Order: sequence, then structure tokens, then C-alpha cells
Amino acid sequence: MAIIRASNLTYTYPFAEKPAFKNVNLEIERGEFVLLTGPSGCGKTTLCRCFNGLIPHFYGGTLEGEIIVAGLKPSEHAIYEMAQHVGFVFQNPENQLFALTVEKDVAFGLENLGLPRDEIRRRVDWALKVTGIYDLKDRAPFELSGGQQQRVAIASVLAMQPEIIVLDEPTSFLDPLSAKSILEVIHRLNRELNITVILVEHRLDLAARYASRVIVMDEGQIILDEEPRKAFLEEKTKMVGVGIPKVVRLYLLLREDGINLSRVPLSPDEAAESIVEVLESDRG
Amino acid sequence: MSMLDGLRLLDGLRFRNISSPIHKIDPRAKFVYVCALFFVAILFNQIIPLLILFLSQVPLVIIARVKKEWLRLIRGSIFFAALIFAMNVISLYFYGGYPSLASIIEHSLAMTLRFIVLVESFSIFFLTTSPDIFGLSLEQMGIPYEFCFAFTTAIRFVPVLAEETQTIMDAQRARGLELESGGFIKRIRNYIPILIPLIVNAIRRSLELAEAMESRAWGASKKRTNLYALKMGGKDYCFIIISIIIILISIYVWLFIKIPSITQIMQL
Ligand SMILES: Nc1ncnc2c1ncn2[C@@H]1O[C@H](COP(=O)(O)OP(=O)(O)O)[C@@H](O)[C@H]1O
Ligand SMILES: [Mg+2]
Repeated sequence: MAIIRASNLTYTYPFAEKPAFKNVNLEIERGEFVLLTGPSGCGKTTLCRCFNGLIPHFYGGTLEGEIIVAGLKPSEHAIYEMAQHVGFVFQNPENQLFALTVEKDVAFGLENLGLPRDEIRRRVDWALKVTGIYDLKDRAPFELSGGQQQRVAIASVLAMQPEIIVLDEPTSFLDPLSAKSILEVIHRLNRELNITVILVEHRLDLAARYASRVIVMDEGQIILDEEPRKAFLEEKTKMVGVGIPKVVRLYLLLREDGINLSRVPLSPDEAAESIVEVLESDRG
Repeated sequence: MSMLDGLRLLDGLRFRNISSPIHKIDPRAKFVYVCALFFVAILFNQIIPLLILFLSQVPLVIIARVKKEWLRLIRGSIFFAALIFAMNVISLYFYGGYPSLASIIEHSLAMTLRFIVLVESFSIFFLTTSPDIFGLSLEQMGIPYEFCFAFTTAIRFVPVLAEETQTIMDAQRARGLELESGGFIKRIRNYIPILIPLIVNAIRRSLELAEAMESRAWGASKKRTNLYALKMGGKDYCFIIISIIIILISIYVWLFIKIPSITQIMQL
């Protein structure tokens, strides 16, 4: 059974004239790594807010259609209940950390749940280790770099052991190098812990290689839902101005020149591999 | 004093993660100690006991390894100290039945010193107590968690706000805003282009914070756990006993020993 299923989902913010998205149909299976992209203002964030009940509980407005997340209808369960199934990492690392030490921040959700103290300690240490920030546990979050802060944010939702983690442009405040290492952490959560990941991201160059599926939205609608190697070849992707990864562009350029790589590359490594393959078969 | 100086002063109150014997004392015990100092400072209005009180805190500051921050706070309070001194001199000159100018100045100095002692003990407390731990001790004293959380979050965002204010001021200056020009009203009006973005940002920030809190199960359980638990130990009880002894000694001195004023000593 799908871990997230939305059918004919339409949402309008309070006082808004038109819906932020309309008639969205979506099924996401457990363990998928979904890359959600599309131009700014197309409704990505709004859709994500439906997954953990921020919509409708926090934002109000009118939600029509049906959505089921981890077996629950978000509109019928409090946000804190949904939070135990769906972790949410926000864009701005600064405004999602409250405490004065990293470990206290990671403990925040577990403290709210009222878990026993030794259980909290165990889970906090685990989450800090998985995200590679155990050494920072006594530091103040505001002293850390953006990349480290975003790791703290990831650790703090991870500590709640959710089945799904939603990340809304988690790298947009970061330099490319920290962005890369954050995406690697997310990839590891998906691969090693089988956590379903929904990643909203514009940096397709860095993120495409980890995705098992790419969803493109435009003007409140899903216009493309494909596996990555196919998605970036679609005309529609280019039409809405989603910058396709450079290696895919390279693939297309080579194809125009009559050189066919064996598969659409999603990272420079893959591209290099395929090109070497072609060169060797030429020689041979 | 500009808004930024105010924030800097607050930033001076910012806890720095140092470890010292004083940092390790339970905040509740330290709180009793600060109360004792407050009590003694209010009890006496002569220079000599206030000066002794002031100086007796210096070793504590050195043990706590917060000398630099402490000095900055004392320096930061000089503006208010001068104000208090001036007000005292003026009001005593016109209304008090003081025999001489020297005794007026002495009394005003004592009042100023009292203020500085209050600032001093207050800062020793805050410089050596992590706000997290302070919030926790409030929580353990039965104060509602929402309040404690608001307190620690406010402290956590002081440096962020200070930085943001600086950024906005720089941006507005770059666009030609002059802060220190014109008369009094004009000067206040100068700050509007800084206040508006600051407030708008603060509102946006607090909405984002609320969203993030909700997403991390805020309010899930009536019985919230805290990662840390405070326990009073032998050292903490010692500290409390010392505080009580300080109070008893000063009551004794106040009742039975006549403290000479500096003016009197000089006349001898
Ligand atoms: N809190 C809000 N209140 C009202 N309208 C909003 C709110 N947040 C976003 N919107 C509107 O909803 C639409 C989708 O925005 P959003 O989901 O933030 O897009 P994206 O994340 O893809 O950039 C936009 O037209 C935006 O103006
Ligand atoms: Mg968005």
C-alpha cells in the first residue's frame, strides 16, 4: 500500500482567490526518493504542508479531495501525531532550531512526546551519529555553519524515527559543497534506513542522482511524474524552466551528434563511465 | 544610547559555554545567593558596606572565568550609573536635609554603588548559568513550560536579532539613510526605516518558528520530559548556607554596629 496517497486534492489558502494547487493525484510508495521540483510559486511547499497536517491545521483554508499519509488522514489527526510519521525539514536552518545546544535541539521533539529520559538520550545520540554531528552536540546551533545547522535540523526530525521525511529546499541557503554533503546524508537515510524521502530541490545537478522518481509541478499542477532518466528528456521539463542537470544536457548534445550513450547519466561519474564505454567500443 | 548599543548590552548577557566551579552550581542555589546579595545591597545605604560587597564579588568573577564579559557589562551600565548619580545629587540638593555637599555626594555615590552591585550580582548569575539550565530550573520550580520556552528562545535569538539589526542598518545607510542627524524627533524618525523591516522580519521568523515547533510535536504530551534533570548536591547546599550566613551577618552588622560615613572618617 502506498505510504502517501492523494486523490483530487485541491487546496486554497484563506483569503486566496484561486487554489494553490488543484486536482493533485499522487501515490508514493514506501522507500521511494521523490524529487519534487518546478518553478517558484508553483505550489511545492503548499503540497508538502499537506503531508504532516500543517495544512489544514496550521494554515486553515479549504482542503478538498482526499489524502492519506502513513495510514492517517492528516485533517483528522493533530500535527503532533502526524509529526511522529512525517519529519519536516524547512528551508531556513536558522528558524527551525530553538535550543541553545545541538543535543537539546535534537531532543526537542522527543521531549514533547514525553518519552522517558534514557530513551531520549539513546535516540538523540543515534540521530547525531547518523547525521555525522555527534562532535557538535554541546555547541550552540547559532554558532554553526548553515550546512551544520541543516544537519541538526535533519537529526532532530530523524530522532522521532519518522517513516517519511519531507525536506523543503533544504540546501537553498547553502554553498554547493555543504549542499552536496546534506544531500548525501539524505541519500543515506533513504538507502540505509529505508525512510521515504520527499525532497523539494532546485539543484538538480546535485540531487538527480539520488532520486528514484522526479515530479515536476507547474501552476498548481503535477505536469510530470517519471523516473529520473526519462523525466529530464521530456520536453515539458524544459518548458517550465526546470534547469535539467548538465550531464543530461551533455547526453542530449552527444545524441545530436550521433553519439548514443547507453543510458541517461545523472552524475558526472555516470557520464564519464558511459563515455568511456562508447570510446572503448569505438576502438574495439 | 542607540538601539544597537542596547542589543550589544544584551549580547553581553549572553551565556558563553565555559566550565568553572561557579558554572556547575545549581541555578537555584545561585539564585538564592543573588537574592542574598540583593538583600544586603538594599539593606545598607553607606559606602563602606556596599564597597565591601562590591569587592567581595570580584574573586567569584575570577573563579568563574568571566572577567572580560563581566567588565563589559559593568562598563555598559556606566551610562545608567551616571544617570542615577546625577539624579540623586540633584534631588538631595533640593529636597534632602543634608548638611554639606560632601555628604550629598557621598550618599549619591552610595546609591550608585548599590546599583552597580545589583548589576554585578545579576551578571554573575547570568554569565555563569546556561539559559537552557536556567529555563530548566524555572520548569522544575513549577513555572509553566510555555513560559520557560519563551524565555530560552528569546535569549537564543538575541545574537540573531543583533546581527539582523546590523545588516538592516548597513543596508539602509548604503541607501543614504542618516541616523545621527537632525533634532530629537527627526532622530527618532530616522529609525523607522530600520524598525519596520526588523518587525516584519521578526513576525515572519516567529511564524516559521511556530511552524517548525508544530512539526516537531509541540504540545503532544501534557507531561513533557526534559533531556536534562537538575539535582541539588552538597556543593549547592553549601552555597545556599553561605548565602544565609551572609544575610545573618549583615543583619547583625546593621542592627548592632554603627557604620561611619566617609565624610565622618575624613573629619577625624
Ligand atoms: N501562507 C500563505 N498564504 C497565502 N498564500 C500562500 C501562502 N504560501 C504560499 N501561498 C501562495 O500559494 C502559491 C504556491 O506557493 P508555494 O507553495 O510556496 O510555492 P513553491 O513552494 O513552489 O515556491 C503561491 O501563489 C503563493 O503565493
Ligand atoms: Mg517553496
